Amino acid sequence: MTTPPHIAAARGGSIWNLAIWRMAWGDQRVLLLSLAALWGAFPWLYLWLSAQIEMPAFQDVLLKVIPADWQKLSGVPFSEVATHAGRVALAFVDPVVVLAATVWGITRGSDAVAGPLERGTLEMTLAAPVRRSAVFLTQALATTAAAALLCGVLLLSVWTVVAFGPWAGRVEPARFVPAAANVFGLMVCMAGLSACVSAADSHRWRTIGIMCGFYVAAILTKLVGRLSGMLGWVGYVSILNAYEPQRLVGGDDASWRLLLLYDGVLIGVGLAAYAIGAVIFARRDLPAPL
Amino acid sequence: MPSAGSPPMIVRTSALTKRYGSFVALDACSLTVNEGDVFGLLGPNGAGKTTLVRTLLGYLHATSGSATVAGYDCRSQSLDVRARTTYLPGEARLFRRMNGHAVLDFFARLRRECHRDVATQIAGRLDLDCSRQVARMSTGMRQKLALAVTLATDVPLVILDEPTANLDPTARSTVLDLVREAKQAGKTIMFSSHVLSEVEAICDHVAILRAGRVVHEQSIDDLRRGHRIHARLTRAFPGVPEAFAGHLSAASTSDGAVVMETDEPLAPLLGWLATLPLDEVRVEPVGLQAVYDRFHRPG
Repeated sequence: MTTPPHIAAARGGSIWNLAIWRMAWGDQRVLLLSLAALWGAFPWLYLWLSAQIEMPAFQDVLLKVIPADWQKLSGVPFSEVATHAGRVALAFVDPVVVLAATVWGITRGSDAVAGPLERGTLEMTLAAPVRRSAVFLTQALATTAAAALLCGVLLLSVWTVVAFGPWAGRVEPARFVPAAANVFGLMVCMAGLSACVSAADSHRWRTIGIMCGFYVAAILTKLVGRLSGMLGWVGYVSILNAYEPQRLVGGDDASWRLLLLYDGVLIGVGLAAYAIGAVIFARRDLPAPL
Repeated sequence: MPSAGSPPMIVRTSALTKRYGSFVALDACSLTVNEGDVFGLLGPNGAGKTTLVRTLLGYLHATSGSATVAGYDCRSQSLDVRARTTYLPGEARLFRRMNGHAVLDFFARLRRECHRDVATQIAGRLDLDCSRQVARMSTGMRQKLALAVTLATDVPLVILDEPTANLDPTARSTVLDLVREAKQAGKTIMFSSHVLSEVEAICDHVAILRAGRVVHEQSIDDLRRGHRIHARLTRAFPGVPEAFAGHLSAASTSDGAVVMETDEPLAPLLGWLATLPLDEVRVEPVGLQAVYDRFHRPG
């Protein structure tokens, strides 16, 4: 049988694939909508609750009751926290934001290879003339684009509550753009690292377990670094040292320069992990699904 | 690219080996598949059939040896290989959140060679309800959906790993018809199955694998020429005459029974048989089962 012309035209492939792009958006749709709803509502709820405690009372507790040593944990002086901008910024380090960003990164990243490999759906996808790098990078692009969308939702919600909420007019909403960008950096970093582990793994649960362990270790090393004078250097090995949105709400050039450093580290690590993952995936054997 | 004037073979493996540590999944496997053939791969679970197919498609990287499809190297030119191949995995798993129509749409978008209208036709012939969500389909329905995707793809080489597993008899028959139609359209089909009667009915050539090695290859035409003669004699078996020694094997037992096998025309043998002190005699085609049993019968 002679090769039909459409097959000859299929040679070369691409590192982006429309069918896989649409598939990736379908796969992440439920999580995306859930987190968008959460992050759309959370800043309003958070600021409404915060506004229930008047600023003088908050300042009294923070500056007079809590020991000054505890400032090490906040990453910024309590005097900065005890401002309207500082209190809004705390929303970005609230577990609702940090854990959701991490959950997004690990969930989507772990689904890069180990997920479809374990489910057996990678088998028929790769029977088509599609590069493994296209499968990997298209999913990565969809994950990153959706992370940007989520951070856009978070920023929009913070912006509107700051502009029209209980503290309307007291803080400039644009001050929180770097903080939202830092959340994006965290999401890219966690997704990239998870995708890298996923590229070498055949079981998604194991990838998720490894990444959860990595995240807990990152929190612990950051805490040890903050609290221990002698072991202060330990904090520098934690990737979470580059996630400090509460330090990025100054509304000045210093905030943007610090963001460049933080997101340079987070996004740089994420992209490097994606690149390594793509190489691992291209070279590895793909076992038949069990 | 294949060189001009090369023999019409579409798959060629040469000493193809795949090891996992000390375990050898594929052991110096050498075989060729000619264009337009239906080629059967036989062997028990773990014999290396799926490993062979997965190495051809680039899922696995061979430890040593080489393999080509349509002249393209299966490792370094995997994209070209897959552009000329469609594959039904042994256990086809599809996207559970989609319905059948969405799955067909996905594969039609994924590769231009997969024709959506043909896939719909095949799904119809297999009596598949494509409006149902994959997660709610039975194993057989998912198999039919995967078959529709695979057989609607217009490429020279079709690889089917146990395509009739999980199917009802009517669907099995339809699948065999579809394979015949693919052959008539000039395609080559590699067909792995444990159902020997199907393989015998549809294949032109078979290879039997055992522990990762190709232990036997045979054309089905040759197989059909082969016969087995069961005889019981009233006196001792005199042995095979010189004239038939090259192509007639015989094994006798102590109770006077003799089993002979030949792959040559029967007529000359019948005259000799008539001279034997026969108590009873039965002549039957050898069949694929008997050939398979030579390599895989326990003990």
